[in-house]
Amino acid sequence: MNDLLALVVQQSVNGVYLGCLYVMVALGLTLIYGVLNQINFAHADFVTVGAFAAFFTATRFATKVLGLPDTGAYLLSMVAALGVGALLGLAVNAAVFAPLRRGDELRPLIATIGVSVLIENGQLALFGPIPYQFDSPFSRETIRIGRIFFSAQSVLVVAVSAAAIAALYAFMRFTFLGKALRAVAQDRETAGLMGINPNLVIALTIIIASALAGMAGALLGPVVVLTPFTGASLIVKAFAIVIIGGFGNVQGTIIAGILVGIIEAFTVQYLGSGLIDLVVFVLLLVMLVLRPTGLIAERKEENV
Amino acid sequence: MSARIISFLIIIIVVAALPWLLTTPYWRGILVLCAMNVLLALSLNLVIGYTGQLNLGQSAFFGIGAYVSTILVKTYGWNFWLASLAAVGAAGLLGLALAAFAVRLRGHYLAIASLGFAVITYQVLINWENVTQGVRGIYGILPPVGSTSALFYLVAGIAVLVYVLLDNLVRSPIGDTLRAIREDEISAASLGINGAIWKAFAFGLGAAIAGLAGCFYPGFVGTLVPDAFNIVESFTMMAMVIVGGMGTMIGPVIGAVVLTFLPELLRGFGELRLMIYGLALMLVVLFMPGGIVQAWMALKARIS
Repeated sequence: MNDLLALVVQQSVNGVYLGCLYVMVALGLTLIYGVLNQINFAHADFVTVGAFAAFFTATRFATKVLGLPDTGAYLLSMVAALGVGALLGLAVNAAVFAPLRRGDELRPLIATIGVSVLIENGQLALFGPIPYQFDSPFSRETIRIGRIFFSAQSVLVVAVSAAAIAALYAFMRFTFLGKALRAVAQDRETAGLMGINPNLVIALTIIIASALAGMAGALLGPVVVLTPFTGASLIVKAFAIVIIGGFGNVQGTIIAGILVGIIEAFTVQYLGSGLIDLVVFVLLLVMLVLRPTGLIAERKEENV
Repeated sequence: MSARIISFLIIIIVVAALPWLLTTPYWRGILVLCAMNVLLALSLNLVIGYTGQLNLGQSAFFGIGAYVSTILVKTYGWNFWLASLAAVGAAGLLGLALAAFAVRLRGHYLAIASLGFAVITYQVLINWENVTQGVRGIYGILPPVGSTSALFYLVAGIAVLVYVLLDNLVRSPIGDTLRAIREDEISAASLGINGAIWKAFAFGLGAAIAGLAGCFYPGFVGTLVPDAFNIVESFTMMAMVIVGGMGTMIGPVIGAVVLTFLPELLRGFGELRLMIYGLALMLVVLFMPGGIVQAWMALKARIS
């Protein structure tokens, strides 16, 4: 009985940690959907680009050029990934979302599928198909509490995502721009009449969302197999989370992300790692049919 | 003779002449691939172009056609043609299963549901090892006809047949019905059109045609692995439909031909050539949403 309890706790810890990574990716998708009612299909590829940016910053630039110690180099690489993500957000808004604001609602989705294919194959040409070994100084250290083991990296992941979520929440709640963002999410035209520039708010949202994706890449790089197609395997899972949580619903996305992480951890334990995607997507289709509004019924004033 | 029949005869002559113009085994192989891609683009165009349902899961039906026909031939010793008939039926039935979602969902939700559907199919192909051999793949699959040029004539002949069938279909009242659903489902319903039945019809027929294309793929390649039916294949098909011009009959054919041959001509650029699908998709959506067909019409109008 004790063994079972330890196993359940261990897998729950693993699940929460995975879930935090997923939340970092899915939050951006849900933020953009909230203000723009659009999907950025290339969102998870921004995660991959962020991971590569972090990898090269940490292993080439920070340690070799600046001579930073490992820990400092890794922390700097997170900042670099954040910046690269923000730039990608700026670019995708200028190239796709701003020009396609009017017209068929599915055109931006199709265009960003093109962006996704472009980024993945561009990375393939640059970095090759062989996986990169991205060692963070935190992934080498294991912490043990009783019979539960976890890496220092997982503590960092949970801490950074919690900080990011808290910062996002504070931004939305207490700053003028955050209020403007919520106003645009509720009603773009009325917000425009109140003197808010919706284009600016939309651009800002996409930049924030993409910066989060970039930083998620820095956290994810040392945990997953880093190839040009890491994002491709992530995007469908991020969609599953966003749908389960309710599209555009930030709280729902956070809960769904952690839930999917936990489901994944227990799937690995009891059914085998090959079945993860199968379990998650069957759950996605069931949710779409039974409860397309997500786990939490949409309350409009919370719908950012 | 009407212009339609003349252009039809020209197409027949060009198709018949192609294996004489491209004589190396390599280019003849590309011809077979091109004929398959035409079939796939035609199948997806019926759903996306004429019925207006963004389906990102077409690769699933291609895969079902390939696996069902191959397994029936290899494991159960069926005759190829009988097995193909069963495979087309299976793909069509699965198309109806996806239609069950399409009836309830629209826009972005349908796009994600169809994507999830394709991921689930792909995962089943990987995990159901007793039947599909999983990632190890099935080897030594023989084509239904001896030579590559015979295979080309077979697949191209079927593609021409399917083209004529669909061309007549979209000119018939059924075509008007599908277009009415695409333009405005609620108005269509007010005219007494049962949207659910006709969407199911389009998904089922589209899936069956993709399944038919799938029957010829394993024999052509000689091996069968799940990776050939990854969701990226759906995006490739979508790129063909959109680059050519969705919602027209000839557009997807042009798109399939261009996007099959262009990457081959760019072989000198290594992996960078794969970016062409993404770039083409993005640029076409941004600058000429009607694809090559629309650009051609605009050019003709300017000249005359």
